[in-house]
Amino acid sequence: MDETVIRIENVVKTYPVGIEVFKALRGVSLEVKKGAFMSIVGPSGSGKTTLLNLIGGLDTPTEGSIFFYDKKLSHMTRKEMSAYRRDNIGFIFQSYNLLPVYTVYENVLFPLLVMGKREGDVRKSVEDMVARVGLAECANKRPNQLSGGQCQRVAIARALVKRPPIALADEPTANLDAENSRQILELMTELNREMKTVFILSTHDERVSKFVTREVKLEDGMISQDNLMDGLK
Amino acid sequence: MFKWNILGVLRDRTRSVFPLTVVAVGVALTVVLIGFMDGIIGGMIQSTANLDTGSLRMVNKAYYEEEHLFPMDRALAGQTESGKWLKSHSPEEVTWSARIRWGALLDIPDKEGMTLSQTPIIGTALDLLSSGSEEIHRLQLTESLVQGRLPVSPKEMLVGYQLAETLNLKLGQRATLLGQTFDGALAADNYIIVGFVKFGLTALDKKMALIDLKDAQDSFYMEDIVTDWLGWVPPGFDIEKLELIKNELTDSASDWIKTPPASWSPDDRPIFLTVLDQRGLGAIYKKFKAVRAVIIGVFIFLMILVLWNAGILNGIHRYGELGLRLAMGESHAQISFSLVTEAFAIGIIGAVIGAIVGAGCTLYLQVKGLDMGNNLAQTGLMLNDVVRARLSWRGVWGGMIPGILSGVLGSWVASLAIYKRSTSNLFRELENE
Repeated sequence: MDETVIRIENVVKTYPVGIEVFKALRGVSLEVKKGAFMSIVGPSGSGKTTLLNLIGGLDTPTEGSIFFYDKKLSHMTRKEMSAYRRDNIGFIFQSYNLLPVYTVYENVLFPLLVMGKREGDVRKSVEDMVARVGLAECANKRPNQLSGGQCQRVAIARALVKRPPIALADEPTANLDAENSRQILELMTELNREMKTVFILSTHDERVSKFVTREVKLEDGMISQDNLMDGLK
Repeated sequence: MFKWNILGVLRDRTRSVFPLTVVAVGVALTVVLIGFMDGIIGGMIQSTANLDTGSLRMVNKAYYEEEHLFPMDRALAGQTESGKWLKSHSPEEVTWSARIRWGALLDIPDKEGMTLSQTPIIGTALDLLSSGSEEIHRLQLTESLVQGRLPVSPKEMLVGYQLAETLNLKLGQRATLLGQTFDGALAADNYIIVGFVKFGLTALDKKMALIDLKDAQDSFYMEDIVTDWLGWVPPGFDIEKLELIKNELTDSASDWIKTPPASWSPDDRPIFLTVLDQRGLGAIYKKFKAVRAVIIGVFIFLMILVLWNAGILNGIHRYGELGLRLAMGESHAQISFSLVTEAFAIGIIGAVIGAIVGAGCTLYLQVKGLDMGNNLAQTGLMLNDVVRARLSWRGVWGGMIPGILSGVLGSWVASLAIYKRSTSNLFRELENE
């Protein structure tokens, strides 16, 4: 049986909004197995991004617990949380968030530098990853010289170059046209299979359903559906 | 990671140009400011030393106490022996020369010998006629001559050009000095005016005359007697070390006084002074240093404020990047450190550029000077009309080190803002960009 990578137990997350308290998540429980390729869907304000932030260690739950394997995230210090993100999480953003002053190669290299690796030791891995997302020809280009689809490929390469156990993608296809969305989802599916990395995608995009093997639906901060899917054949 | 940060700084000019410019301009201005202030005070001290007090001075205590009256009878006898003593008891870098300060009436007669004009003047007698006399060079007499020539024969006189204008003096004209001899009698002696000099010091140009030391000793009956022994140190000598030399000489002189030269009066007692002990220069120097420290301190504080703001603006400009880096696992401390590292690199480059520009401007002001004759004309200060800056390593480092530190400090203070924002907030703001 596949081991559980992420276990979420009765998580509640509230935010103060003026004098009111907004409940973004209301008792969410979830288990994510190794190699999962899943999406979290739901309308705006349903708590998708909040859930991703909690899994990614960018925020802490108001109540409940999140475990990475057996480690409880809320027990980690700020330094340990940084190390958790650095070593275990790859982020993919809707608006790519590439560093504009660096080239494609340098953007992909960046997470490895944060891990303390020397460029000379990881150059081959970075070049391979850039080539794997189909951008070998663009390695020395800056983000402003790339199309949206290419930028998202760079973002995927950057997230996966350190081979993290978990990749979190927040609306990864929202800024892309249909063809680019399909290509990006296919690429993520392939990388999920190759690297056994957990992919958790938050999305509005219904086309994503055709690619994932599990779809969790959030409504008003609660899980309303948790469906196993066929995924991409 | 350092290389990565520097690469970013070089490629993103919004991150580097403004702080670099602030540091460079700040350092350049500080270097010029220090150089200019050092030049003013240094020039004032140097002028005073050369023309009047020497860097060090040995004078009879009794004379010094009433020197405004030019009491020739209290001058120090035993010039030859005193000269030998000073040479053997001073550090090698100190050069001593004897001078006589005198006050007299300058009488200008007409062809019949009747008084045409007359005025009280002050004068200095110094070695003008010996071959290789350093006094001519020290007072820059060749450069200061506006008309005529330097004395080459006994009983020739130089007068200040403004004094010459006032008395309508002509070159080659005979002038009679009416003064007091060493033993209190009337001294009267004739001199030929051979040159007009402009020291650039209004106080001197209006009422000063220069004659040869031996002539003065002859006119005032002061054989082997002088009023002053003045000592000079080489350019760049630390002025504050003069006090040490003075104290050593004072200690040594206590033995000398026990077995004084035979020509000394029973109450003769030489004392030693530095330039800062005279003409109120010590107090001016102290105040000048305090004012300089305050001005430079304020300047550096303003530079820190500007760079702090630049750091904050830089942080805002790079919110996306900082949020991303936090998301990727860099700690707050690592990001702060990298911002400070960038500021340090920018500070070094800016400081070097600023130091080169500042040193260039200071050097220009040192060579060319700034003519402030009109402003200084009525001040009576012994300050050259042309004020010159003084370039020194101390001034360069005094600009560079605060320039670098202010950038680092400003950036560090700005980077503290990262700690005040939670990771999720930075991340959310990143998403909202």
